[in-house]
Amino acid sequence: MEMKSETTSIPGNWRLDQFRWKTEQVKLMGKFLAGLKEKQVLGLKCPGCGLVYVPPKPFCRCLERPEKWVEVSDEGVVTTFTFSGTWAFRGFEEADESETRIIVGIKLDGADTLGLSLLQGSDPADVDVGMRIKIRWPDAPEGALKDILFVEPA
Amino acid sequence: MEKQVAIVGYAQTGYGSYVDASREILVLEAAAGALRSAGISREVLDTVVTATNDYMDGRTISNMRLVEPSGAWFKDESKVEMDGAYAVLYAMMRILSGDHDVAMVIGASQASVYPTYIPGVMMLDPTFDRERWLLNEVSAGALQARAYMDAYGATEEQIAGISVKNLRNAAGNPLAVRRMPVLTVDDVMDSRMLYSPIRELNAFPPSDGACSVILASSEKAEQITDNPVWIHGVGFSHDSYLTERPLDKLGSLKQAADRAYAAAGISDAKDQVDVAEVHENFSHEELMAYEALGFCGEGRGSALLESGATKMNGELPVNPSGGALAANAACAAGLARIAEAALQVRGEAGSHQVKGVKTALAHGQTGLCAQENIVFILGGE
Amino acid sequence: MQDVAVIGVGLSKHVSKRRDVNIAELVYEAVSAAYDDAGVSPRDMDAVITGNMPAFEGVNMPELWGAGHWGAYGKPLLRITTGGTTGGSVVHGAFYAVASGMFDTVIAISFEKQSDGDTTMGLNSVGIADFAAILHFGTDPEFLVSAGGGAIGIVAYQATSYMKSSGCTTHHYDKVAAMCRSNAARNPYAHLKQPDITPEDVAKTDMMEYPLRFGHCCPATDGACAMIITSADKAKKMTGRPAYIKSCASCSDEAAIIGIFGGGPAHLDPCSQEGCKKAAEKAYKLAGIKEPRKEIDVAEPYAPFANQLLMFYERLFLCDEGEAPAVLDSGSMEIDGELPVCPSGGVISTNAIGASAMERIAECALQIMGKAGEHQVNKDVHNAVAHGWGGALNLNVVAVLGDTPRR
Repeated sequence: MEMKSETTSIPGNWRLDQFRWKTEQVKLMGKFLAGLKEKQVLGLKCPGCGLVYVPPKPFCRCLERPEKWVEVSDEGVVTTFTFSGTWAFRGFEEADESETRIIVGIKLDGADTLGLSLLQGSDPADVDVGMRIKIRWPDAPEGALKDILFVEPA
Repeated sequence: MEKQVAIVGYAQTGYGSYVDASREILVLEAAAGALRSAGISREVLDTVVTATNDYMDGRTISNMRLVEPSGAWFKDESKVEMDGAYAVLYAMMRILSGDHDVAMVIGASQASVYPTYIPGVMMLDPTFDRERWLLNEVSAGALQARAYMDAYGATEEQIAGISVKNLRNAAGNPLAVRRMPVLTVDDVMDSRMLYSPIRELNAFPPSDGACSVILASSEKAEQITDNPVWIHGVGFSHDSYLTERPLDKLGSLKQAADRAYAAAGISDAKDQVDVAEVHENFSHEELMAYEALGFCGEGRGSALLESGATKMNGELPVNPSGGALAANAACAAGLARIAEAALQVRGEAGSHQVKGVKTALAHGQTGLCAQENIVFILGGE
Repeated sequence: MQDVAVIGVGLSKHVSKRRDVNIAELVYEAVSAAYDDAGVSPRDMDAVITGNMPAFEGVNMPELWGAGHWGAYGKPLLRITTGGTTGGSVVHGAFYAVASGMFDTVIAISFEKQSDGDTTMGLNSVGIADFAAILHFGTDPEFLVSAGGGAIGIVAYQATSYMKSSGCTTHHYDKVAAMCRSNAARNPYAHLKQPDITPEDVAKTDMMEYPLRFGHCCPATDGACAMIITSADKAKKMTGRPAYIKSCASCSDEAAIIGIFGGGPAHLDPCSQEGCKKAAEKAYKLAGIKEPRKEIDVAEPYAPFANQLLMFYERLFLCDEGEAPAVLDSGSMEIDGELPVCPSGGVISTNAIGASAMERIAECALQIMGKAGEHQVNKDVHNAVAHGWGGALNLNVVAVLGDTPRR
């Protein structure tokens, strides 16, 4: 057997494809996605502390389980942002970005949580925290998360 | 140890081979259940210690998304990546330091989420053992069983007797997965062979479930409940890797027990312990535990079982809940022994209650072939 | 209840790929150095507290086959793992093991050998359980990964948010990076050593994601750290100048993978870091520190990215919110300044993930014991604060060390 002066790297494969995770979100998302199809953004309100989670979250930090559906606005505010530089991922592969994409953290009016969207109709130089934005709905929403992928200045 | 830390609440979710709930909801149910059992609100907690395993959860930093469901939001939280019994130990250290008063401990795992080989194979030495695909949790346990049988003359039928005792006991435990009131030695011997000499009913049932325990300092414990379960002693130890130690005895369990007994002032375990909850992943481990825990002499485990002393109505009942052979959610299995022992001390075990329990022993283990062991001695007023 | 002290620190050589040793051997370097530093042997240890972040090595609980090499056979052993904060959590565990009176002398061990495993798999495992669900409901995977993929994606939001709230510029981030890397050049155990680097050099590196450049980011390191921790009574007999651990506190905030299920209001402003503030408040209170900015002599905030050094300096109450850039400009954070920050070179220079948060505490101990050598600060160190951060942006650990015991 060949002797090596180095230790061999150990293939640390978890085979994550063999895991079968469970999440209550699957049960909740049907309702949320149906709302998107009607151009409505729905949140789930916690009975304990009143926080509104968008998208819905099945448990709250106060140990209660949010259960009441409420509609929130499709307008909101930018809370943070970034735009792509020379380092970027396209899918799961590292790649060069040909176009600059502005990713914004948004808080919709009536929601208590942060969502991420792509800002269109604005330059990197103009985007700022506190900027008002509105969801740019597709003409025919499909009832999928990508229906709320794009926002534009309100 | 005189009345410094007490168990003041506990909860277990029901166990099952497939529980239709996420890890987060199982943990939330266990956390909320323990708070209800202690009659306190989340605000009273100072610290939360969880026990989960990244490989079993299929998530790096498996505690990071359990902060909210475990009640740990804005609390001093940490995670022990071992059996939950060790999380009890850590929470106890935190309380004894004087910097914390009330601690929540939660262990959880879902066998229906992870691939079956994960707990055994990922723990192996990666250089020599993992790539050869000879060892896994069950085949390693089988080597241990054979070594024990060879050293002390125990038979497969005697080992099956442990399964019969525990799974019959489990009939009285509504949370158990395997509840088998009329099980016989022949039934065990007829069950599917996994790795000789381990058959299906000699091995733990991989389960989903969560268990939680609330601990408090003596001052807080007496405010919270009239019925605290005191931790009188704890001991734990780490043995060598399975290929580097004699497999026919549980050396680190003996060390752990000796330390726990010294702390609790126990000189004759068989006489002074009223009930024991042992974390036996395989039937033969309970026989080995009898010896390591000093319930009988070396090699006398089978004789002790056959004397009936460890049966439900015996002198020293072991695993009235059915033990880990009846339900086994990894990371919660040893913790559940502590919760069950506390139930026995409080007299709340219902149809699997042992009469007149003053002192209870609970055991937890981590690693292959019971490499790491921890022993608690619990008692009432 | 007893007071707790550090009497020995050991570090392995830290580089990006330690191909000459396996995990157990890498850890042995740090462990044996710690035993030597404290003048003790494994026989003197009452217990072993250990941890790492197992995803990157691809092995579950490596102490099961490795710990014999570190002196753990037949001893009580506790494994504590909390991701990026693991090293800090392990020291907290060692602190409580001794403070509880359960043990007198313990060794705390943390490590990471990232080059062993599959790093992509390690990173995917952080969020894949959640990503899988969100992809299922119709999000473009390309967007998802670019928005939250990897630590850099997430910290970029923090960096922009901090610029907005403090009014600082990317030039401040360049200065932080240059300061830390030149400190690292004095530390034989640091990974990226750049003695002559200037902020201008950092500003010329590639833009990763606005506003973070390559030079603002930590490397991936193989390394291990060990500390011998004992009771104050024993420490006094064993060494002339121990470093006392006055307090440990951690605080967990809501989990976030920003924009994905489960983020709560905590992350609307990724710079708020209320968890760090709460942990720091509690640690100072327990340690009897009333005015941290006057009483703390050295700070080791956990900052894998340049912007985080400024943010956490504030969240550790070492100046008012928004003032850290001005403090940086004043030169106070330099190694010969008034309140040196990351004299070790910090996480931005060396990041063996599981060990990083312990190395912050180890550096504070070395500074108090006067054993930091070339990177010893130019002042008497009476009190120092060490910090760790990680999880889903939500776990914080803080420890206060001093040259006198708490009680």
